[in-house]
Amino acid sequence: MRSILISDPSLRDGNHAVQHSLTVKQVAAYCDAVDAAGVPIVEVGHGNGIGASSLQLGESSATDGDLLKTAREHLPHSKLGVHMIPGFATIEKDLKPAIEAGVDVVRVAAHCTEADITERHIGYAREKGRTVYGVLMMSHMASKEMLAEEAQKMESYGAEGFIFMDSSGHYLPEDVTERVKTLRSALSVPVGFHAHNNLGMAIANSVAAADAGAEMLDGTARGFGAGAGNAQLEVLIAVLERLGYKTGIDLYKVLDAADLAEKELMKVVPTISSVSVVSGLSGVFSGFLKPVVRAAQQFKVDPRDIFFELGRRKIVAGQEDIIIEVASDLSKKLTGAR
Amino acid sequence: MSLQAIRDVRADCQTALAGQDSELAPLMGDTILVTGGTGFVGTWLAETLACLNDDFGFKLKVALLSRSVDRFKVVYPHLGNRPDFRLIRADVRNIYDLPSETNWLVHAASTPDSRFHSTNPVETMTVIADGTVAVIRGLDRCSNFKKFLQISSGLVNGAQPLNLERMPEVFAGSSAFGTVSSAYVEAKRFAETYCAAARSQQRLPIVTARPFAFIGPYQSLETPWAINNFIRDALLGNDIRVLGDGQTVRSYMYGSDMAVWLLKILTSGTPGASYNVGNPEGITLERVARLISERFIPNPGVRLHTSESNANQRSILVPDVTLAMKTLRVSITTPLEPAIDKTIRWNRACSGLPKTAE
Repeated sequence: MRSILISDPSLRDGNHAVQHSLTVKQVAAYCDAVDAAGVPIVEVGHGNGIGASSLQLGESSATDGDLLKTAREHLPHSKLGVHMIPGFATIEKDLKPAIEAGVDVVRVAAHCTEADITERHIGYAREKGRTVYGVLMMSHMASKEMLAEEAQKMESYGAEGFIFMDSSGHYLPEDVTERVKTLRSALSVPVGFHAHNNLGMAIANSVAAADAGAEMLDGTARGFGAGAGNAQLEVLIAVLERLGYKTGIDLYKVLDAADLAEKELMKVVPTISSVSVVSGLSGVFSGFLKPVVRAAQQFKVDPRDIFFELGRRKIVAGQEDIIIEVASDLSKKLTGAR
Repeated sequence: MSLQAIRDVRADCQTALAGQDSELAPLMGDTILVTGGTGFVGTWLAETLACLNDDFGFKLKVALLSRSVDRFKVVYPHLGNRPDFRLIRADVRNIYDLPSETNWLVHAASTPDSRFHSTNPVETMTVIADGTVAVIRGLDRCSNFKKFLQISSGLVNGAQPLNLERMPEVFAGSSAFGTVSSAYVEAKRFAETYCAAARSQQRLPIVTARPFAFIGPYQSLETPWAINNFIRDALLGNDIRVLGDGQTVRSYMYGSDMAVWLLKILTSGTPGASYNVGNPEGITLERVARLISERFIPNPGVRLHTSESNANQRSILVPDVTLAMKTLRVSITTPLEPAIDKTIRWNRACSGLPKTAE
């Protein structure tokens, strides 16, 4: 029976779904539940990772320090993880205090073609004795060969595992299979996959990843995450169990944790809205869903048009300000047409 | 760098040179140029050549060519400010006029740092390929030139099969090509072939060394190589983290032995021949980690990160050095355990200072 290492970013990716408003009380409650369930890694922080709270990306209700301190206190068994994107997060200001707060796992992320920016951050976390994974986001925007080359850079910098993210929920299972196979042959470290559910394929894609040899999968309670959400953790555990994979997670307790998460963390359970489908089809970051909807309302344009235009411009996470520009342009065109 | 650290390195050089000085006599009174003269290989050669001058009366003139000579002078003034040493700041790719008095040349310019290879594959290749072409072209002005030592890599032989205990120079294994990750090795292969062509066509006396893995002072603990990272983890008080199941096999030669072997290949190696340079005693990474752990109190833990993919990726890289040992009469004077002790001691002594030569 093959093992799959499960990482739960509900308290990080889920923050996208609630405008980064998760409180220390919510973090404490959920950490208690997933720690009891035996979830190996629990990721905590702003939706875009530590250090990302800002006017542009959305301000967190609680500081990184408070969230991490609380999570650490309520995760006696599970490892505490953070996501960090160099540029949003710096070593001195963000990573160093996070490590001092007791973070065990650092996932250093970059856009799929920009692994170069992660060298110092990966090196620093390794130097501090933390487990370090390299993460490439919006991976559908790179060919599988280019993805492998970028992943190799992260491995050479010292990453002990590599995770590729389907940030816009764009993949179909065969896309995931071929990428995992390519990555496994290119890397000597384990490969992981982080799904989004825009086209309803998050669980199927995660299973495809595992079947192709991925050893790490991400899942969030009720799929609590950006846009249409992620692979639903409790479903993922059940499916993996049925397929004969070992996760070490107690099914009943993770089901309880998901029930708690629905009640305590979410304003609404993520669903695949019409706009999410468009986000997945256009290959635009799932986390853009709420700002796109807001911009569409503000400028009185169709959010689906915004998504397709963002996709045409190949906009990536961190370029949220372009959403307003696109909505404004579309609005002007509509006004001009009238 | 502390006085004690300088003395320790000098003692290592004296040990490695014991009984070898007479065979290095062809170097006496000559000028030797080392490209990549401020890197790990170059710095150990500099230490050894300084020892030959100070302790054995060789009266060598040494030229170290590098892009980083200013930093070298500041960090290692005991080498950088010697009157018998000349530091030449230059990019090896743009060399047109080597010092005309050069008699011996060790071409060591290139970085083995895999981080640099993956981030800058083009520069990795051009430094090796264009650099080799430029240096050989530059030899035209050296009227009394005696021999050229090309520093290649033990990786040019391709992947070592798991059932092959030691890899001889003649082994031809398969390896990927045409990819970013093959940039370093393919450039080294080009350089070896170019040297063979130059030796044949221009009758240049060129001999090749294929270095494997090393340990010792002047090697950055930040480079993502297993033994360096294990020592760094232990020095920082962390657990030692072993990627994979720890059954990958490597071998490590101490810097002073490497330098003496290279000088012996330079003076006594047969032009056209390639010599492996490294420790022939293979050891698993788990054992390396435990050897390092034993040297600290309290012992840091050794954490293995077993995973299916890593188990499939076990590898072995250990040289067969019979050719060098038999024909050049070289030996290992500092085995692995004392090499680890010396490396730890040096890094402790240099705490707070840059730990690496560049």
